[in-house]
Parts: sequence; structure tokens; C-alpha cells
Amino acid sequence: MKKMNLILTLILTAAVLSACGTKSQAAAENPDSAVTAETVGNASESEEETVIPRSPDADPNADVDLTTLTSNMVYAQVADMMYTPEKYTGKVIKAKGLFSVYHDEAQDKNYYAVLIQDATACCAQGIEFIWKGDHAYPDEYPEIGKEITVMGTFNTYEEDGATYTQLLDADLTVNS
Amino acid sequence: MTEIWQTLVTYLQFPFVQYALIVGLLVALCSSLLGVTLVLKRFSFIGDGLSHVAFGAMAVAGLLGVSNDMTVVLPVTVLSAVLLLRTGQNTKIKGDAAIAMISVGALAIGYLLMNLFPKSSNITTDVCTTLFGSYSILTLTLSDVILCGVMALIVITVFLLFYHKIFAITFDENFANATGVKANVYNLLIAVITAMIIVLAMNFVGSLLISALIIFPALSAMRVFKTFRSVIICSAVISVFCSAFGILFSIVIDTPVGPTIVAADILIFFIFSLISFFTGRSTKA
Repeated sequence: MKKMNLILTLILTAAVLSACGTKSQAAAENPDSAVTAETVGNASESEEETVIPRSPDADPNADVDLTTLTSNMVYAQVADMMYTPEKYTGKVIKAKGLFSVYHDEAQDKNYYAVLIQDATACCAQGIEFIWKGDHAYPDEYPEIGKEITVMGTFNTYEEDGATYTQLLDADLTVNS
Repeated sequence: MTEIWQTLVTYLQFPFVQYALIVGLLVALCSSLLGVTLVLKRFSFIGDGLSHVAFGAMAVAGLLGVSNDMTVVLPVTVLSAVLLLRTGQNTKIKGDAAIAMISVGALAIGYLLMNLFPKSSNITTDVCTTLFGSYSILTLTLSDVILCGVMALIVITVFLLFYHKIFAITFDENFANATGVKANVYNLLIAVITAMIIVLAMNFVGSLLISALIIFPALSAMRVFKTFRSVIICSAVISVFCSAFGILFSIVIDTPVGPTIVAADILIFFIFSLISFFTGRSTKA
């Protein structure tokens, strides 16, 4: 009977813990493909991980070069950037994907993004970027769906009470 | 080969890869321990059934606007597990039919609700991640790893403490009852732990993977080994090996994580079947 009491106590503890841990799980389950993914960062966890590993063939000018990672790793790396943006703020990110535009009707404003597909193309992730310099849309921008490479400084901003991520002062190259 | 090794060493430095490995191995270990009992009790399909129940409960939680969906998902799944495992064989709807009915029913209702009342703009991602795991194991946080560690500790503790009782009720509930073992209490314990592991594992690796982790290692081990203890040990080793191999292979070669682990489990099953064929060793499942 003592054994059973011990086990029931352990199970109850686990049940409480599982209820506590679900916010991060829920976030992990749904790295949305929306162009400007809302961030769900956890400062206390990210402070422990300040060094971002790099692939040997990564661009030396980029702190995080997504173009040299396999698509599984890109997906995981981008998800990590969305969940713990403070870890990446100020870092130079290089990403390759499809050019995408989201038009906000309410503010009559365009958001430009690089859309990164995964291996099975079911879980695409988008990173918003602000192209360095003045450029008129659509004349000077690539066609929607064209493969591009962008490199810019990772930043977060607040809009309508939510936190979003973007790449500032981004260099944009249209891949042939 | 050197290039692949170098890539692997680089990727292993990423925290999310380390988290995936730890959680993957712990889930594999726990599910393989429970797997032998569930397979022998003719409840192989319960992993799939319960994870579909959890999927349906998750959709209902979304519909109800519950901020922490685990408060709905966990009780519903535990209740389903208790109903499925405790009712045993003295019911009008037998175990396999009940599981199949609940499995497809919950899946259909869950998907229907997700489409009618979507939680996000991307239903495909939601469904893909929840049912097939996709890449969710590569997006775990430290709190997920700690939670999984606690769960693994509980499952292993329960298994070690009640090994002989679980053995007794696995093979003959009536005989266990006659010898003074409270089979209903231990069935309840197994049901609750099974449900909790499945709910957690579904969040980590998807329902496709958790079902395979329960079935394949146990069946592979039964091809070659004959005693309960040796089957359990072999099952745990196979499960952990296949999970580690699947995770590492998928991140380097770029295949979906969950299905790669399942493919490794299938391969091991065929290898063990061949060994069984040539050596004439096998345990009926």
C-alpha cells in the first residue's frame, strides 16, 4: 500500500508538471507559416544558451547561416528564433527561401518575407525582412515565389500588443 | 563519410538537437517498457487510439478556448485509457473493437472541429505536427526535457517496483486475482501511465511514432527472446537504438524525424524475424 501511495504521489506530481509545461509545448506544436510569426520567447531559458553553434561552411559574415543547414535543422533553428528571439537579437541572419508578401488591409502596409519550406513542404516558416535602402513595390521587388537569399540583423518589435520578429537592413539577392 | 560525420558533430552542438535526443530516447525507453505489456495484453493499438483521443480532446479544448489545453487533453485521455484497459474482456464491445471505434471517432471529430473552428491560419501544419510529429521533436525547450525526465523516472520506478505484479496481470489476470494480486488496481495504474506517456509523447513526436514505439520493439524482441524479462530488456535496447539512429539519420540526411525512427524499427523487426526464422526462436505475440 505504501508503494501505491508513493506511485500515486509521483503521478500527481507529473500531472501538475505536465500542465505547467504545455505553453511551450503548444508553441512548439504550431510554428505557424504566417509571414510574421508571433514570438513566444522565454527569457529565463534562453539566457542559458548564448552561444549559437555554426556550421563549418557557414558565411563568415553571418552569425546564423540558415543556407548551409539541412531543412530539418533550418526548421528547428527558425522555430528556436521565434520562441527565444532575445537570444538572436542583434545577430546577423542569412536565409534562403521563397519571396512572399503579406498586405495588411487595415494599415495599408506591406510586409515582405522569405518563406522557408521544409522537406515535406507542410510546415513552411516565414521570416519578415526590411530591405536595405528605398525600394518601390512591386517594381523593384522580386516576383512572389521567386527564390531569394536575405541577410539582415535580427530584431523584434511590438505591434497591436504582440511581439514580432524581422531582419533589419537586409541585403537581398535573387537566386538564379 | 567524413563529411557526414563532421555534419553530425556540428549538429550535435545545437541545443534543440540535444533536447530531441534526450526526449526521444526517454520516450522510446518508457514506451518500450509499457509496449511489451500492452502487446501481450492484446492492446497493441492503444497508442494510436489514445493519441487520436488526445487529438480530438485538443480540438475540443481549442473550441472551448481553454488556454492550457492539457487540462482537457490529459483527463480525457486518462479516462479513455481507464475505460479501455479496465473493462477487459467482459464487455459487449471487445478491446480491439473499442479501441478502433474510439480511435477513428476521435480522429474524425477532432479534424472536423479543427476545420470548423481553426486555432491558427495553418490547419495543415497543426494536423501534420499533431498526428505525424513532423519536426516537433526538434523544437523542444528545456522545460519539455525536464518534464519528460520526470515522466520517465515515474514509469521506470513503477515498472521496477511492480515488475512481478505487472508480469502476473499481463499473462493471466484471473490467476493473478486468485493469488491475491489486485489486478484492477494494477490495470488502472498501467492505464493512467500509458495515457500520460502517450499524451506527452504525442506532443513530442506525434501519434504515428508513439504507436510504432509501443508495437515494433516488443514484437521484434519476441521474435528472438522467450522470457518476459529478456523481451523487455531487448525491447528497450531496440527502441532506444532505433530512436537515436532515426533522429541522427534524419537531421543529417534530411528526412522527417518520426517516420525515419519508425522505418528503423521496421528494419529491426525484419532482421529479428530473419534471425527467428533461421534459429527457430520465437515467442507468440
